[in-house]
Amino acid sequence: MAEATSSSRNKIYALGVVGFLAIISILYYLSAPVYLYIVAYTWFGFIYGALQQYGRFCFASAWRDLIMVRVPRMFVGIMMGLMTLSIISAALMIKYPSFYHPSPIGPHELVGGLIFGLGMVFAGGCATGSLYKSGEGNMISLTVLLTLSFTQAIFVAFPFFDEMMDGLHLTGPNSVGALTPDTWHWPQYLMANKIFNIPQGEHPTFIQNLIGNSLINTILIAMVLLVCVYLIYVRKNFLKRRVVSLTKSADGGEVKMGIGDDLAGFWSMISSSKRTTIAAVLLAVVAAIQVFTMSWMRDDYNFGDDLGGGNFGLVFAQNADGSRRVMFSEAENKTLTPAQKQEKIDSTLKKWPAADPAEATQIKYNGKLEALPGTGGNMFDPGYWYITTQEAMFAGWVIDKVIPESITGNLRAPHYNTDAMYPDNVREVLPPDQEVNGNRYFGGAGVGGGNALPKPWLSPALLLSIGLILGASFLSLWNKEFKWKFPTKELAVYAVGGGILMGIGSRIALGCNIGAFYTRASFGSWGGWLFFFGMGIGAFVSAKAVNYIANKKMAKQMEDMDFDIEL
Amino acid sequence: MKFNKKDDGSYELDVTGYVCPHPQLYTLKCMDKLQDGMIMEVLIDNPSSIESVTQACNGKGYTILGTNQPKAGVTAMKIQK
Repeated sequence: MAEATSSSRNKIYALGVVGFLAIISILYYLSAPVYLYIVAYTWFGFIYGALQQYGRFCFASAWRDLIMVRVPRMFVGIMMGLMTLSIISAALMIKYPSFYHPSPIGPHELVGGLIFGLGMVFAGGCATGSLYKSGEGNMISLTVLLTLSFTQAIFVAFPFFDEMMDGLHLTGPNSVGALTPDTWHWPQYLMANKIFNIPQGEHPTFIQNLIGNSLINTILIAMVLLVCVYLIYVRKNFLKRRVVSLTKSADGGEVKMGIGDDLAGFWSMISSSKRTTIAAVLLAVVAAIQVFTMSWMRDDYNFGDDLGGGNFGLVFAQNADGSRRVMFSEAENKTLTPAQKQEKIDSTLKKWPAADPAEATQIKYNGKLEALPGTGGNMFDPGYWYITTQEAMFAGWVIDKVIPESITGNLRAPHYNTDAMYPDNVREVLPPDQEVNGNRYFGGAGVGGGNALPKPWLSPALLLSIGLILGASFLSLWNKEFKWKFPTKELAVYAVGGGILMGIGSRIALGCNIGAFYTRASFGSWGGWLFFFGMGIGAFVSAKAVNYIANKKMAKQMEDMDFDIEL
Repeated sequence: MKFNKKDDGSYELDVTGYVCPHPQLYTLKCMDKLQDGMIMEVLIDNPSSIESVTQACNGKGYTILGTNQPKAGVTAMKIQK
């Protein structure tokens, strides 16, 4: 009876979470219809959180559980999700080529991944894993999250650390466009130039994307890794059990293993944790749906460009003469009369909030409209699954409010430097008076703009993170898995130490396990793999350290016990 | 982490309060110490560790005799070596 009551109470709390989010969503909409964009981000976060909680989806365990307890479930899940998303991405780039985000490739990805990997094993979760675990009531994960966010922000906000980090970004050039001949991602460069002969500036077809990006740079690497994991971690035990089982049914006769048995073993590895693999594939599908949805909404609310890009910051923006900037497609620019354009601007502005110059950051907007001096809008609005950047922005916003400007400098003003983050071909398009923006995190200017420091409740990506926590809360409450868990001294040390390392790693690599690996690798940017291998090396080292400490603790726990087992 | 002997050949491991990777790590280390046929009941309140422990037991050929939830958020797994 008590059991049933407790179960019902949990379900009521779970529905309460959904109800809370629904009410907040309505309030946003009533405030301004364009805020449905933020609401959409939030609910996508909710779905990510629920799926991650269902699949126990945490990138930390991909390497860690493989190394420490020889469990490949998460490694398999990530590779399956990655391959799925990669195929979808190939199609996505036909309609929305601007979603291709090949990062600058360089040793920073390997080094950043290594430090991130070191931290995530101590912390007990990756960046996105810590989010969903916070939703399960795990305050140790929340500690990790806060430490990670503030570490990143501190390494941007304080000039000493910022300059140190800028010095580490000795990267190769940033490629622009998928499979175009000017890409510096050499497998794609060869495909584009030697195989497909794609003319400069033209976008590849679906098949070209599929072969040149997905197949070569994602699926092939993922499959090789899966085979390696099978051979190293699964094969021996699987075949041993299979021999025993087949020998029994063969009445003791000799049983020989062949390629068919290996295929069965490989399949058993893929299907061993159905919930993880199912969640991984669904997460990939939802991630793709989010890209389509956000692009559609950007167009619908007139702050999107023809390539699927656009920026939510534009809805707060204002020109020096007080006018607003509404985006028109190329077709609209050609066909609409001035009166029709004005009508569209008027109807758009009814859906937008009032301009907020304090919110918008100083920028010469690089959009379809003529750039005018004044306040433009640019904030972090990736349009897809992203995790750590928005949390660093939140921490930056807090630092900006709490710490005097004399110490941090003006976080909102973009500060420029001449580091190597951008190649010459990008620098060449800059106006002579504008340098490359070094402060991509908080400053709002520069090519592509920065992330800026919007109010947290107006930051779409941050609302995705909050939605993710609530989604995990909903499902864990519903399934009676929610439990408040607070850090002991030992776990607090792990959480803070791990969070700091993850923050430093993310800052160096310009992203976490999602932004620096999952999204990049799924779009065929092999720099993402550098981060993943770096994570593996870091995880290996910290797994050894955690294992050593665990052995010490166990020995102490057992030394006075009278067991009839061998110690 | 508390590891106790309940009866002959029967043990209990309490790893509640811990987060990844500690529950799965301690569970497998303790199982390693047992002799074949012995049983250990492990208490875990970290859902992702439950999934990893299940997979690790399958990989090692241990039998999971049953699981139940003694209270909300806590799972008890009975594992036989």
